[in-house]
Amino acid sequence: MVRNLVTKLEEGFLSVLLVSMTLLVFAEVIARFGFNAGIHWAQEVTLLLAAWFVLFGASYGVKVGAHIGVDVFVKLLPQGTHRFITLIAVGLCLVYCGLFLYGSWIYISKMKMIGIEMEDLPVPKWMPMTILIIGFVLLIVRFLQLGWKVVTNQADGFHFADEAEESMEIAKELQETALGDDPQVSDLKDPSTNNKAPKQEDK
Amino acid sequence: MTIAVLFIMLFGCMLIGMPIAIALGLSSVTTILLFSNDSLASISLKLFEATSEHYTLLAIPFFILSSAFLSTGGVAKRLINFAVDTVGHIRGGLAMASVMACMLFAAVSGSSPATVAAIGTICIAGMVRSGYPQSFAAGVIANAGTLGILIPPSIVMLVYAAATEVSASRMFMAGFIPGLMMGLILMIAIYIVARVKGLPSQPFPGFRALAKSGVIALGGLMLIIIVLGSIYGGVASPTEAAAVAAVYGYFISVMGYRDIGPMKNIPWHKAGENMVSAAVRNGFHMLMAIPKSITDPEVRKVLLDASKVSMMLLFIIANAMLFAHVLTTERIPHTIAEQIMAWGLPAWGFLIVVNILLLIAGNFMEPSAILLIMAPILFPIAMQLGIDPIHLGIIMVVNMEIGMLTPPVGLNLFVTAGITGQNMIWVIKACLPWLCLLLGFLMLITYVPQISLFLPEYIDHLNGY
Repeated sequence: MVRNLVTKLEEGFLSVLLVSMTLLVFAEVIARFGFNAGIHWAQEVTLLLAAWFVLFGASYGVKVGAHIGVDVFVKLLPQGTHRFITLIAVGLCLVYCGLFLYGSWIYISKMKMIGIEMEDLPVPKWMPMTILIIGFVLLIVRFLQLGWKVVTNQADGFHFADEAEESMEIAKELQETALGDDPQVSDLKDPSTNNKAPKQEDK
Repeated sequence: MTIAVLFIMLFGCMLIGMPIAIALGLSSVTTILLFSNDSLASISLKLFEATSEHYTLLAIPFFILSSAFLSTGGVAKRLINFAVDTVGHIRGGLAMASVMACMLFAAVSGSSPATVAAIGTICIAGMVRSGYPQSFAAGVIANAGTLGILIPPSIVMLVYAAATEVSASRMFMAGFIPGLMMGLILMIAIYIVARVKGLPSQPFPGFRALAKSGVIALGGLMLIIIVLGSIYGGVASPTEAAAVAAVYGYFISVMGYRDIGPMKNIPWHKAGENMVSAAVRNGFHMLMAIPKSITDPEVRKVLLDASKVSMMLLFIIANAMLFAHVLTTERIPHTIAEQIMAWGLPAWGFLIVVNILLLIAGNFMEPSAILLIMAPILFPIAMQLGIDPIHLGIIMVVNMEIGMLTPPVGLNLFVTAGITGQNMIWVIKACLPWLCLLLGFLMLITYVPQISLFLPEYIDHLNGY
């Protein structure tokens, strides 16, 4: 229940960040071409949204397996060795997070002491940078979870994104809609069966 | 010493299965801490700047979003219909149409495996029914699918531009002619095979049918026209063009084609409905569709899929920038370049080495990851040898295409095996003759730089530089 809610929140937040970046740049283009005006804060805000998007998304990516890596070699190993090596890898990932968390903390506390403002926004510069700390703390949590899964034998290694597998979704979708009166052939021969009206008979 | 530590760390981390982004970041941080005076605080700042100071990089999430909207089976069907109506009546026309459909879908979706899955599912079955050998059909599609990363707009090119700081617009211009050329080479080869083997052709559907399927396909193809038109015309940066493309992709898929989202199953025109009431009804539904999209599960899934891929890529890029920073501050490419100069290796020899290196790397890693690791190393060396950076980029991209067709990580091979239900060995054999064609094309691209450089230089000339 709680886990579901957290996932929903993470997904919602990421989608909102992506959509607002897109719309901001789009609005800027419209303002420039349509009204010959500019939105002077748009670029800075878009870039900050991008930073939040990436640093917040990294931990979500570990959870759902959206990152990529080379796992052809470790998969060849026997299961026990594979898990042991994965634990080392998770440990190194935690070292990485720890180093950056420490560095970000020092930098942000210094920035807070100096108190410079952003270029276009009336916001102190350290505030948007807190995503470094949030992001790396979340990343540590996700890696600890992964490590625990490996220890308790629920996982063998990192789960990586597989573009080939994802592409098969389209193939599956097409094969499903193609069931029935063999529309593949009719599609190829008679374009009129495939106009903008969706096919009702497939339902 | 520095070089050894950096690369042993990097390859060690990747070999034990760490995410590539973190392998890059960790090896760079370790090298910085060991061999330079930078503090952890300044490295953290670098990572933040890498994610928040590169406006051109934002084109990547926007293009991914626009292609996520248009990488649907419905768009694939429309493009295939258009392609079959255009070239289907030539001998071997169905195979040529598949190549053309692959080129169009590849340009819209920017992803090779997605192209093979979408076009292949329909076209391979269709070709087999019309009497083509299945291995011929599968080989053609798997190869034509790789054009996705060469024909602009292409994500891989944006990644190269990010890694080397060459202009993404110029890369897009440079990829256009090689992309068309490769498509034409495939089609000519198909025509020859079709003549020899006596493969069938389709009846010509007539100009009305062609115009109709053309107009329907144009909805999706407008995306390419908008993007390339505004970039080539110099009115918008790739980032802005990509944002417009993403918004356009939403409108065309949700309101135009209605394959996904809240307007699914609402027809444009009901039987016996007059034009005015149809316009009013459509207008009403379109207005309602915008708020409905916020909660629509299909639209949200598209957004989330795009978020995952773009976040993953941008996180790798951010870490790769740290890696590139280490390379430059430690002058590693310069050291290698001086070594190469000392050996007296000429530019063409260097390009052969680059090709072999990339072909090997392409067997184990994904295109964007390879580019982010290799480009910062190869780029300065190529500059010293007097090789044009745009030309180097196109060579690298064509190499990545071949990497998609070589085991064990050839994505297109997996997808082709998946949609034909055959095993990998069969697929590799089916692809092999076409792969040789691609290798020949790589040689051509490598040693005739004018193919890549003609268009960007011509456009520069037009703009008066």
